[in-house]
Amino acid sequence: MQGLAAAPSRARLPFATLLGGLCGVLALTLLLSLTRGIVPLPWTEALAALADPRGESFAAILVWDVRLPRAGLAALAGASLAAAGVLLQGALRNDLADPGLLGVASGASLAVAIGIVFLHAAPTALPGFALAGGLGAGVVVLGAQRLSRDPVRMILIGAALAALFSAMIVLVIVLGNEFQLRTIHAFLIGSLIGRGMSDLLRLLVLTAILLPAALLFSRALDVLRLGEEMAAGLGVNVFRLRLLLLLTAIGLTAPVVASCGPIGFIALVAPHLARALLGGADAARVLPLAMLIGAVLLTTADLLAREAVAPAELPVGLVVTALGAPAAILLLRRHLAP
Amino acid sequence: MTGRAPWPMLAGLLLLTAVAHLTTGPVAIPLAELPDHVIVHAVRLPRLIVVLLAGAMLGLAGALLQTVTRNPLAEPGLMGVSAGAVLAIVLAIIAASRIEGLGMVRDTGWHLGLAGVAGGMLAGALTYALSRRHGVSRPVLLVLMGVLVAGSASAVTSMLLLTADDNQLRLVLHWTIGSTNGRGWVHVEMLAPYAAAGLSMGLLSAGIANALQLGDGVAACLGLRVEPARLMLIFAAAVLTAGAVSVVGGIGFVGLIGPHLARMLVGNDARRLFPAAALVAALLLTLADLGARSLPLGWIEAWSRSPVTAPSGIPVGVVTPLLGVPFFLWLVFAHRPRA
Repeated sequence: MQGLAAAPSRARLPFATLLGGLCGVLALTLLLSLTRGIVPLPWTEALAALADPRGESFAAILVWDVRLPRAGLAALAGASLAAAGVLLQGALRNDLADPGLLGVASGASLAVAIGIVFLHAAPTALPGFALAGGLGAGVVVLGAQRLSRDPVRMILIGAALAALFSAMIVLVIVLGNEFQLRTIHAFLIGSLIGRGMSDLLRLLVLTAILLPAALLFSRALDVLRLGEEMAAGLGVNVFRLRLLLLLTAIGLTAPVVASCGPIGFIALVAPHLARALLGGADAARVLPLAMLIGAVLLTTADLLAREAVAPAELPVGLVVTALGAPAAILLLRRHLAP
Repeated sequence: MTGRAPWPMLAGLLLLTAVAHLTTGPVAIPLAELPDHVIVHAVRLPRLIVVLLAGAMLGLAGALLQTVTRNPLAEPGLMGVSAGAVLAIVLAIIAASRIEGLGMVRDTGWHLGLAGVAGGMLAGALTYALSRRHGVSRPVLLVLMGVLVAGSASAVTSMLLLTADDNQLRLVLHWTIGSTNGRGWVHVEMLAPYAAAGLSMGLLSAGIANALQLGDGVAACLGLRVEPARLMLIFAAAVLTAGAVSVVGGIGFVGLIGPHLARMLVGNDARRLFPAAALVAALLLTLADLGARSLPLGWIEAWSRSPVTAPSGIPVGVVTPLLGVPFFLWLVFAHRPRA
């Protein structure tokens, strides 16, 4: 079985090198996130402040209250989205699957829109609305998909329900006033502006179990990749495994959407990048690599979002799309039509 | 179902819906007064024509693309044409309001239509160029590159909206979701050339589409020059989509559902499928437009206990998924493959 599952026939770089290199890049972007900004901080000072969480100095407050939470949130969100992408693409056996198909992002946005327009919710309550909406929509979509055992049908159902949620968002927006419309638009675009330690801790608590748990699915993903008949023949309950994978993906995506808004492309691109770098699809290696790539992508995008038009900021969702679309175009052209 | 000819039924339903569309509204007009009522002539008839033409164009474009890509999920937005057209229209709206001064935001006029068609065709050409490897376009790449081009164009639209004022924001929203509010004779004139060119080109290419459906290899063996043929079908779909979107905005779902319904009625033969898809989609969009005008806003008002203003009406693009998705789900569930 090991021989079947792990077939990294045309590995380009050794796995350990890739892992180490990506960890280095991530550490570098995190350090840059701490030092760069409207008030530049020398890296020695940033590291000193990092060692002193209770410090009263300006550097310590800047690092611990503003820059570290935001950089950590970006890294954690990127890793979670990438892991969700790997699980989904494996579960549905489709290279184009991304969490958009689970209705999580559109459901969260719908809940936020309803909260703003009809319930006049306070801005601090919005992450709660988003989390509830994302999880609720995910469960509804999964429930509808559960009626069908065919992955193509599951994709169709997910896409259709996501479209329905999006239409309902617009309906709610049309009924609201201009100010509400602007608040909803700010959420819909995906951003890390003004996120603090409480946002990071919330995401950390919610993903602390699921992110390591995702790694445990690597054997199952390898078996699923052999095809349904083969997996069933190997004694796997394909139907239940698929539900478990999708449920985990929902659990990974909904908290991210709640704290950063819908951020596209990472869940789609990071798994492809990991497979391309690795030259294989062995899930035990693709999963950690994809998580690291997702973290690097989102922290880099956030750095650019802060620096590109300083002192103003771009929403990170836009930067991710601007970086992710050309990368995906290059990658997929090479990958799918050699 | 495939054996019987559904044309009389389709025509009858279309006529019935059209009459309902003309008679209902804020002012109910009795059937007898229909031919010479001023509201019908000035307001409802041009809107009905726009809705019928745009529906037919989106339906045929969807059928063309589903045939070319051999993918049942293909729809007019696939090539990035809709997103490109919307982006160009948004650019034109913002540029025009800069030139004419603040507060002067107009969402209609020839310049928007031309910008929309230009932007849509440009995005479609980009998608096609990206889908070519070694001189041949690949259907798989066409789908993927279309998704990416559309995503990028939508992202740029969102970026522009960050700096837009409230008035522009609402207008642009109506363009991205698709709306037929306030469409008049000038819009019929804007739509007509693209409808005439695109519909005739699409319907006449049904024979070629049939050959392409068999796969590139078989089509080539039948003597078809595959690449020019595919380019022609894609071009027809792009003209149809860009023309429709530049007048009514990015209405979704009609172009996906219309062809599927048509396929259930008449089967896979493109010579029957293409006209049927156009008719069914026109019928669906007219129904959705009728629905958009008679949505029960009072219920929402009562539930939310706050006044509902909807200053510019419910856009029809909201209604098409609300009606279309449940129907689509029924389609998916009702047609299980036999084990």
